[in-house]
Amino acid sequence: MGRLILKGVSRKFNEFLAVSGVNLEVADGEFVCLLGPSGCGKTTLLRMAAGLDAPTDGELLLDDNKIEGVNKECGFVFQEYVLFPWRTVKGNIEFGPEVKGMEKKERERISQHYIDLVGLKGFENHYPHELSGGMKQRVGIARAYANNPKLLLMDEPFGALDAQTRNLMQGELLRIWEKEHISALFVTHSVDEAVYLADRVVVMSARPGTVKEIFIIDIPRPRVRTSPEANALRDAILKSLGAEIKRAAGKV
Amino acid sequence: MIKNDSERKGLIINILSLIGFIIFWHILIVLAREHIFNIPFMRLKDIPTPLETWNALVGSMFTQTYGPGLTYGIIDHIRASLVRVVQGGAMAFIIGVPVGIGIGYSRLIHNILNPIIEIVRNMPPMAWIPLAIFILVTGGSIFIVFIGVVFPIILNTIYGVRSTDARLIDAARTLGASQVQIVAKVLIPSAFPSIIAGLRIGFGVGWMAIVAAEMVIRSPVGLGYFIWNMGDLGRYAEMIAGMIVIGVVGYIMNISILLLEKRFIKWVD
Repeated sequence: MGRLILKGVSRKFNEFLAVSGVNLEVADGEFVCLLGPSGCGKTTLLRMAAGLDAPTDGELLLDDNKIEGVNKECGFVFQEYVLFPWRTVKGNIEFGPEVKGMEKKERERISQHYIDLVGLKGFENHYPHELSGGMKQRVGIARAYANNPKLLLMDEPFGALDAQTRNLMQGELLRIWEKEHISALFVTHSVDEAVYLADRVVVMSARPGTVKEIFIIDIPRPRVRTSPEANALRDAILKSLGAEIKRAAGKV
Repeated sequence: MIKNDSERKGLIINILSLIGFIIFWHILIVLAREHIFNIPFMRLKDIPTPLETWNALVGSMFTQTYGPGLTYGIIDHIRASLVRVVQGGAMAFIIGVPVGIGIGYSRLIHNILNPIIEIVRNMPPMAWIPLAIFILVTGGSIFIVFIGVVFPIILNTIYGVRSTDARLIDAARTLGASQVQIVAKVLIPSAFPSIIAGLRIGFGVGWMAIVAAEMVIRSPVGLGYFIWNMGDLGRYAEMIAGMIVIGVVGYIMNISILLLEKRFIKWVD
């Protein structure tokens, strides 16, 4: 199971309201993309779901348990990878099992499984600085998965990649996700990415961030980025998002 | 070691520079002795030439019974000084790293220890010599080295811990790490390059401190004692040979730690 529920979640930083009354549910096994103008609190929401930050109002529930303190049942994937530079690919992926006190043999079985799954066979003993951006994020995804999470939280994981690698990694993420199905909350700036990946796309308003509109993407996977259905959805989402981006720009 | 033409050129210039300095030194002394040239208010002619220095170095390298003050060879003096620096340095490392981690990690420990450290670290190691003689029955020079090494290690460890990427700590927390595990598996490895840099700077300071301490504390063996004693006895060639040895050993020590750094820290770009 991995059902995330946000009930009237608000977050104030001093007097500054970043997120205001967000209600949202990520069903078990569902892939939800959060889309919104810069500074609308997408990352704040994700950090609260990870328990790295706490709401000033409302609550977050994972499988009916209130998220208080760090949520150890989530796998967080960061935009800038945030790998441990002194650990090899294998060492990074084994970090979660290791701090849980798992036996070496079992750890190695897990890391090998995910190294194979994300396509990093042969790079087990490389250090992060020896890898390309795409490969680093494969490690980031494998590390999150190796922690056996109920929920994947991804904060613009492909934002630092070039367009080609980004498209490739989106396909790879879906391939991995379809093999090991867990709920996913994915923050992005790219409408194209959201329509390609998500079951539902949540468009957030300019700050204070709140849920503006939810789009259901009922196109079967694998999706064709240029199909008429995809284009129509992209158009609709862009319109909804465009208004918020204008509002955000007007405020600054 | 040498990778390309420009590095080879650099090395040749380095060697020529050293040779040039030795020739310049020789000519200067010979001119002074022949009364052709002298720098006013200096007794240049009393300075040994490079060759005399070399002969003094070779002659006193292993000597065991060569008049007063030369009952030990230079090798023994090097060993004695190095052992003291390593002992004092090891103590400084064992105490300095945990203190640095504590201060870097905890605001409370920082507030407790910082005022003391900020004052004490501004007392030069040499200022501790009278106290060391007064309170320590033995090991005074080791203590002086400790004072010299411990503060660079503490400060660099603090810096290393504080400059740990906060997102790495977040990542470790979501992966289930406890506070102790975050210190052991994130803060310490992340600070490790800084700690080694602190060790290297510390050993540089410690090497200077040991020579000064040996001069004053008058240990019967050690490079500081050796050059002081040779100066007293008017054996200037041995004295200058000793000075050069101090410089070369310090240089080798620095290079060794640098190599160690490269060997153990493969993960830094």
